[in-house]
Amino acid sequence: MPERLPLKMFFAFLLIAPVLSVRPVHAADAPHRIEITARRFAFDPGEITVKRGEPVVLVLKSADVAHGLRFRDLDVDVKVGAGGTAEVSFTPQKTGDFIGHCSVFCGSGHGSMTVKLHVVD
Amino acid sequence: MRALAGSAALCLLAGLLGCKATPPGRTETAVVSFAKHHVFVGNKKEKNPLPDDAGTLADGKEAFSHYCVACHGLDGQNTGVPFADHISPPIPSLASPNVQRYTDGQLKWILDNGIWPSGMPGSKGTLSDDELWSIVVYLRHLPPAGSQGAPEMYTH
Repeated sequence: MPERLPLKMFFAFLLIAPVLSVRPVHAADAPHRIEITARRFAFDPGEITVKRGEPVVLVLKSADVAHGLRFRDLDVDVKVGAGGTAEVSFTPQKTGDFIGHCSVFCGSGHGSMTVKLHVVD
Repeated sequence: MRALAGSAALCLLAGLLGCKATPPGRTETAVVSFAKHHVFVGNKKEKNPLPDDAGTLADGKEAFSHYCVACHGLDGQNTGVPFADHISPPIPSLASPNVQRYTDGQLKWILDNGIWPSGMPGSKGTLSDDELWSIVVYLRHLPPAGSQGAPEMYTH
């Protein structure tokens, strides 16, 4: 009877092993989702931080009219219709601070709509 | 009392005459143009940070089409703008030598601040720096006059 204990433990390990081995890998691959709400004439949040090499999904939500968010230096651009949601995926490859602008003309304060993106190591 | 009333009437008359808008003469145009190029419009030496390529040109055309077309037309040469010749000073063709002589930095300054007392408004805050610089690139590569048709707002 006592010799069966290691066998039970072995089968228990077989059951648990896939869970233990898959979860960390899955977490590492999951992109960093960041939701940003756009309304005339500001983004919320107006400042975000991501890591270099980390896959990022920017989810842009409009609280009023059509808007866009473009980081020219990173070649990232996403546009969203009035009241809608849109997303864009990218992986920043260089560190630094980057300014994103609204890329869909939305009125008199359009030019002042910015998001500051910090890319850190 | 009569002297006071007379002075008031003269002031009113002078004010009304001052409000009269007539096309500027050749001398007035030359003097104002010189003053704008050499005195009033600053930022002469600033360089455009954006590349002069097809992507920036497309960005500039798009930004121009949102805001500038109402007065300058899609081609920057007033095509389809019904009031272009009816205001004083008249809206210039942006392809004209007088406009093209400005440096990139000066064109950006005009876009930022406008030109008083013409009707040209400043666009700082209304358009982003990126958009304004891309418009400068578009101004350097304007399409042939009339090739873009009239702005949609004037075709209904």
